[in-house]
Amino acid sequence: MLTAIFAILFYLAAAILLVGLALRIRLYAKTPAPLKIPTTPAPITRGGVVLRMAREVTLFESLFKSNKWTWAFGWVFHVSLAVVLFRHLRYFLQPVPEIVAIMQPVGVLAGFSMVAGLLALWGRRLVVERVRYITGPSDHLMLALLVMIGISGLSMKFVAHTDIVAVKAFFLGLMYFDWKPLPSDINLLVHLSLVLTLMIVFPFSKLLHAPGVFFSPTRNQADDSRERRYAPRGLLKPQAKA
Amino acid sequence: MAAVSSDFKPKERVVGDPIEIPQIACGAMAESKPFVAKADHNEKLGFPGELVEDWHDKAIFRLGELLENNRALRVYLDSCVKCGACTDKCHYFMGTGDPKNMPVARQDLLRKVYRRHFTWAGKVVPWLVGAEDLTKEVLDDWYSYFHQCSQCRRCSVFCPYGIDTAEISMAARDIMDTIGVGQKYCNEIIGKVFNIGNNLGLPPKALKNTLEGLEEEIEEETGVPVKLPLDVQGADILLVTPSADFFASPHMEGLIGYAKVLHEAGVSWTLSTYASEAANFGMFVGSQENMQKVAQRIAKAARDLGVKRLVFGECGHAWRVAYSFLDTLAGPFDFLDPNYPVPQHICEFTNDLIEKGKLRFDRSKNDEFRLTFHDSCNVARASRMGDKPGGQFEIPRAILRATCNHFFDMAPETIHEKTLCCGGGGGLLTDELMDVRVKGAQPRMRALKEVADEHGVTHMAAICAICKAQFSKILPQYGFEMDGIVSVHQMVSNAILLTGSTQAEEFDAQHRPADATA
Amino acid sequence: MSTMTAYEINGLVAEHDEEGYLKDIGQWTPELAELIAKSEQIDMTPDHWEVVNFLREYYEEYQIAPAVRILVKEMTKKFGKEKGDQKALYALFPYGPAKQACKIAGLPKPTGCV
Repeated sequence: MLTAIFAILFYLAAAILLVGLALRIRLYAKTPAPLKIPTTPAPITRGGVVLRMAREVTLFESLFKSNKWTWAFGWVFHVSLAVVLFRHLRYFLQPVPEIVAIMQPVGVLAGFSMVAGLLALWGRRLVVERVRYITGPSDHLMLALLVMIGISGLSMKFVAHTDIVAVKAFFLGLMYFDWKPLPSDINLLVHLSLVLTLMIVFPFSKLLHAPGVFFSPTRNQADDSRERRYAPRGLLKPQAKA
Repeated sequence: MAAVSSDFKPKERVVGDPIEIPQIACGAMAESKPFVAKADHNEKLGFPGELVEDWHDKAIFRLGELLENNRALRVYLDSCVKCGACTDKCHYFMGTGDPKNMPVARQDLLRKVYRRHFTWAGKVVPWLVGAEDLTKEVLDDWYSYFHQCSQCRRCSVFCPYGIDTAEISMAARDIMDTIGVGQKYCNEIIGKVFNIGNNLGLPPKALKNTLEGLEEEIEEETGVPVKLPLDVQGADILLVTPSADFFASPHMEGLIGYAKVLHEAGVSWTLSTYASEAANFGMFVGSQENMQKVAQRIAKAARDLGVKRLVFGECGHAWRVAYSFLDTLAGPFDFLDPNYPVPQHICEFTNDLIEKGKLRFDRSKNDEFRLTFHDSCNVARASRMGDKPGGQFEIPRAILRATCNHFFDMAPETIHEKTLCCGGGGGLLTDELMDVRVKGAQPRMRALKEVADEHGVTHMAAICAICKAQFSKILPQYGFEMDGIVSVHQMVSNAILLTGSTQAEEFDAQHRPADATA
Repeated sequence: MSTMTAYEINGLVAEHDEEGYLKDIGQWTPELAELIAKSEQIDMTPDHWEVVNFLREYYEEYQIAPAVRILVKEMTKKFGKEKGDQKALYALFPYGPAKQACKIAGLPKPTGCV
């Protein structure tokens, strides 16, 4: 029964996440960008734009210019999250690739730094007057959700061990449509429930910043309006030939 | 004229960290609003004369249209994570402390309505995601705070997703115009462009008289018959410049500088009565249709006069529209000479000549000026000069260094891409907004004060008509001289040694004896 | 900013906009100019009148107020260098010879980046 519920929920959540994101990305992609608006100085070639975007999404270049604390907390959180997600590949791949195996101890550390980064970001929301002003209930909830995912995950390693062999069997079973029983440890169920929640809210929340940044015209446009005519089709009424 | 609120004493506030973060003062600027446009101002632009009856539905409908037609708006309304990176970056926030002048909070005024009507979460759990209905109170807030944004894009430099509050502000102003709530200053001016050809409402006869007067003055001063040609068929270059250059100071001193440079370059050039305006307030009100109509006047003038090149005078947002949008809005310009950039900035034109050694200067003529340079936002963050990114910072400074002996930059966090708005940009340069204009100028005034104290800087040069007009009003309030703001080409004008001019003769005479004795 | 919407003098009612500029410039009279000046905290002296009269003459010919530089040149001709420079004009009309003097002269406000 429990296995069936979680199995169905995971299919559902994965579908919502993937379809929701795909629809949103399609919407971004097909919405026209009528004018050239890169924030300058901007790269003047497409290659330069790729580099700018790469720096933006890996180093958080703009955030670094803005505020070193927010940058440090945010960067630590995001990098840790990436490492943690990478570590979780071992539940979905059989055999486990060597690189994933090697990363396991780092992944555990990243679990801690992820939670630390989140708590620091949360602290800013409470302590810094300006950030408190712009923080709404959903911002607190999102942080709470992520922190609890982190803590419940860590608890399975450090508080009450879960039968991770069975967990892996469950997820492989999900992927090959051959369901295997899910252990019923409370911290595992909490962890998975929160992850399900995150997957479901992703396409409807500010987490859309993840695909959004790639579609940001101030960052993804080249500064080449004098070199190359920018004329997106069908946008502007035909010019009055007076 | 709206007075500056009495508890704000510019002269006492001029010393301090330019980008100091203020204490939050909720609602401090809620009452700051520009005059509402009259019916005939709005109607000339294709907008309803006054607030329409079903304004709520019309506004939501218009927001939907904009979302479908502007990727930036859609992505930016979705993407903000409220990280706070922009919260201390707006000059109006720094000067007023009103939290709704924090870029994210300004965006949220529109975002909350977007969420309510266009997102699933905002429809189902509005309280959770900060979604709100568009009420009359919210509309009033829009009118106040979207007219406290100068669309300077400073916040977009610091946002990890590049969210540009200018795009949000433009959309909000477009929506307000669509339901009949226009801003008098901008809409009246756009109407004048359609009727007369420029923001000022300067008729051709007056323009001709003004230019002839300047020709006389220049000839009196230099002995050289420098011309300011108007509507000359078949000239090589059409110079498009803000109409303030035909009227105000120090703008006009800059115009004299362009004329001298163009004369010395030996090119044939002309101004146009039909396109006697570089500025394009269609951008400020966020109306693409109006922006395009204004831009097309320039294309038409270029075609009708049969020119080969297009050069723009000193005007910040005009250069953005010219550099980034003109080809899209009014192109293609395949009838112009492809060997020159289309369009070209007068600073690029002058700097090219300087680099080729074609201009001679007597820099000592500018020795009474100890200069700094104010990067104008639209030039700094929304356009370029020259071949390389950042040329917009280097080229005007290169001109100043070539024409003046004393040049000092302001603090690095207040120049180049991090430059601070003069406080009057984006359609706010109107007397009834004087309070927010004075307060918004505080960061720049402090940066100026630092170099004034440290290096004895006496003057600040700019390449934007709005900056120049704003500073000539604001400088005295902060205890500086009114004429402490100058045009870049004013410095060129002062120092240039025109071939055959009395200045050139004097200069050569002074420098000849040394050679003779050698 | 004045709260009234019209100037009233000797039975004449002359409507003005939010900032005090006359709606119908045909209604202007020298007496009205004195009244507008008073609401701007200016006492009209002969020097003020020189400026105002020149603005009106120029406007009649060109349908716009003269540029500050043109005004300065004209006043320098009339008053000599010392009393005719830009600073002296600002002393006469603290909120700018263009805008404030235009208001008193009954002319529309110059608009744009000025």
